Amino acid sequence: MHKNWWKILGAVCVLYTVIGGLLIQVPTLPILHESIRNLYFHVPMWFSMIVLFTVAFINSIKYLSSGNENDDLMAVESVNTGIIFGFIGLASGMIWANFTWGAPWPNDPKLNSAAIATLMYLAYIVLRGSIEEEQKRAKISAVYNIFSYPVMVVLIFVLPRLTDSLHPGNGGNPGFGTYDLDNHMRMVFYPAVLGWILIGIWIMSMRYRIRLIENKRNHIHS
Amino acid sequence: MKKLVSLFCLFIISVTAFAQDKVEMADELRSSGKIYVVVAVMLLLFTAFIVYLFTIDKRIKKIEKEK
Amino acid sequence: MVLYKQVVTLLKKEILLEWRSKYALNGILLYVISTVFVCYLSFKTTPPLVWNALFWIIMLFAAINAIAKSFIQESKGRLLYYYQIASPQAIIIAKIIYNILLMILMAVIALIFYSIVFQNVVGDELLYFVAVVLGAISFSTVFTMISAIASKAGNNSTLMAILSFPVIIPLLMLIIKLSKNAMDGLDRSVSIREICVLGLINLIVIATSLILFPYLWRD
Repeated sequence: MHKNWWKILGAVCVLYTVIGGLLIQVPTLPILHESIRNLYFHVPMWFSMIVLFTVAFINSIKYLSSGNENDDLMAVESVNTGIIFGFIGLASGMIWANFTWGAPWPNDPKLNSAAIATLMYLAYIVLRGSIEEEQKRAKISAVYNIFSYPVMVVLIFVLPRLTDSLHPGNGGNPGFGTYDLDNHMRMVFYPAVLGWILIGIWIMSMRYRIRLIENKRNHIHS
Repeated sequence: MKKLVSLFCLFIISVTAFAQDKVEMADELRSSGKIYVVVAVMLLLFTAFIVYLFTIDKRIKKIEKEK
Repeated sequence: MVLYKQVVTLLKKEILLEWRSKYALNGILLYVISTVFVCYLSFKTTPPLVWNALFWIIMLFAAINAIAKSFIQESKGRLLYYYQIASPQAIIIAKIIYNILLMILMAVIALIFYSIVFQNVVGDELLYFVAVVLGAISFSTVFTMISAIASKAGNNSTLMAILSFPVIIPLLMLIIKLSKNAMDGLDRSVSIREICVLGLINLIVIATSLILFPYLWRD
């Protein structure tokens, strides 16, 4: 059980945010009303996605320097899990936007950036599918992953700051302080982010372990 | 005098209008206690989700040991 | 110093090869001119916003077509020969510089032809020209590396488009914004931030290309 403490921590954090997110008082703001509570559930998806893509980036670097096949497998599974979080983030954001900004896809730079970042990693998956030979596939896709990661960072963190956005914390005024967070909300928001990041990494690690087993079996059979 | 009365009326109306401008929250749901139903349902869903994750984890561990 | 000499030699060779056949240059020019003409026939006149967007879309597709060839056209034997005489960094630098020159030439010709065919008023002509040059440079730096990746993954031109679009879109958004500023004739200090970010992204892209290309090369 001692190795599983972080999984339990993630589970406890997520369960806590379900209770706290619905019951603890939130600031009363126009337009948002009670939907401000979506912050606890929608925003952590993006944090998990970015953390998972960063894990993929680090593992791609590790693969290029070591040539160990397992690093490549972990990079793929991080990307796979990250894409799932990205899609959930987009979908939940669209529902929220529909009720607060009046359209599921308002022309917002942050929304467009997130969609393009997801496209980038879908391209990574397509690239992997197009190469048969295992080592070659691992190497070329690692190169593409490392090449596109800095552009993704610019896309998500720099570009929305250059233009006006409906999202808080943008429009040349970055940072967390500008979120409409009061201390009550912080008490729920930070555990929510931590919890979902841990859950994301947990799912990724399980997929990675399944991949390892499959890989071993393939080697035995062939 | 008439002017003053009408001004006073306008003032009263604007004040009441301003008071109605209050941000609408789910107070009713909370006051009748039904919010706890939502909490219970979501708690159940997420607990199920996490228990499910743990069972998958266990199964992978079993297969890993077999090898 | 060795690197510099290798780059110069490779660059000379690229230009010489191009000069002998003139295949790429003529092909791209014809491509750009016919696309502009098709757009002219279908649009006739355009509002400024469309004028700007249309120009960059034409440039984008022309650039993808032009640069996709830069690694695919090399024969296996010639690649092996490069491997003997030059370092991978020299090869990628030479390719990037060659593509930048090619794209700037193409962009300038396209811009001249485009503005003759489509009448439009540009507020700040010098800034628009700077935007076009910056755009050509950005296209070259990104597409050179992507074409190297795509050529290793089976020379598929669909793959080239899929891989390059998500990477180029952020740059394209910045370029379109910059050129829109130039068209509206806004004060130049407004556009400095865009120019800086564009320059920064290009630097990052070139740096990662230099680091990553050797891994791609070793086969």
